[in-house]
Amino acid sequence: MSSQDFDVEFVDRDDREARFVVRNITPAFANGVRRAMLADVPTLSIDSVRFVENSSVMFDEQLALRLGLVPLTTPDDYEAGETVTLALDVEGPGTAYSGDLVSNDPEVEPADDNIPIIELKDDQRLELEADAVMGYGRDHAKHQGGVAVGYRHLQRINVVGDSPEYADDEPRMLRGVIEEDGELVPTDDFDNDLTNRYPGKEVEVEDVPGAFVFQVESDGSMPVEELVLRAVDTLVDRADELEQAVQL
Amino acid sequence: MMVPVRCFSCGTVVGEHWEEFKARAESHEGDEDPADVLDDLGVDRHCCRRMLISHQDLVDVVSPYQ
Repeated sequence: MSSQDFDVEFVDRDDREARFVVRNITPAFANGVRRAMLADVPTLSIDSVRFVENSSVMFDEQLALRLGLVPLTTPDDYEAGETVTLALDVEGPGTAYSGDLVSNDPEVEPADDNIPIIELKDDQRLELEADAVMGYGRDHAKHQGGVAVGYRHLQRINVVGDSPEYADDEPRMLRGVIEEDGELVPTDDFDNDLTNRYPGKEVEVEDVPGAFVFQVESDGSMPVEELVLRAVDTLVDRADELEQAVQL
Repeated sequence: MMVPVRCFSCGTVVGEHWEEFKARAESHEGDEDPADVLDDLGVDRHCCRRMLISHQDLVDVVSPYQ
């Protein structure tokens, strides 16, 4: 790894979605962080369901799958394998929503309340008890804390001259974030078209070495910032584990 | 049958937007342009947009055969 320090700079920042630039890392390390966010950060998700009554139009296992996909808020004091019990009791006519789930830990609740689980008609009823387990994304996608996590190179635009006088007005599309005199400019600012930003100029696009723009979204189980920090912690833990193993 | 909880491709939770999308763009009363509604709801990627655009509620159709 390079001797220079890492440098992190946010472009957009939100609880659910963020974009940030990390400098002085290698592509391998960037991918390591991405994979850790997906696979190595455990989150709570419903894993087994005991049905007391289900007279809805869906089978028990279909409903269990839907419940498993509902994101639950994950406090940081849970260890992998720990469980939380949730209950749901809804009578038709009406719709059972994720928000109807009642948890035995007030810190664990559905991250989104408006997800329809099943529509119930007259005399239909759904009553169940479910166990949410702290599990890893590598075992099941419902435990992934991050969705659509990706990165790309930070890019720099060099003006190499004027465009030819009678050249066609063709758009020059570029998506991502560009660096301009040390400023970070998302390409949506100029409609992803470089001819809007540099009219009448001929430009070349170049990758900034060692700088990556991460785009991270969270499913709501934890804020993006925490997801990234926990992912990096798992990498640190792995490195420590390796060091221990080598010393023995 | 029921709207999928998450997008099949990327895993974003799309189910929570269904009822608003249906009220504003899918039903006869809602006559807004579906594209505008999806933009408004923050469903940006085309993988997630197709989840809502192509969904059909079937609970009413199957419930008589229970």
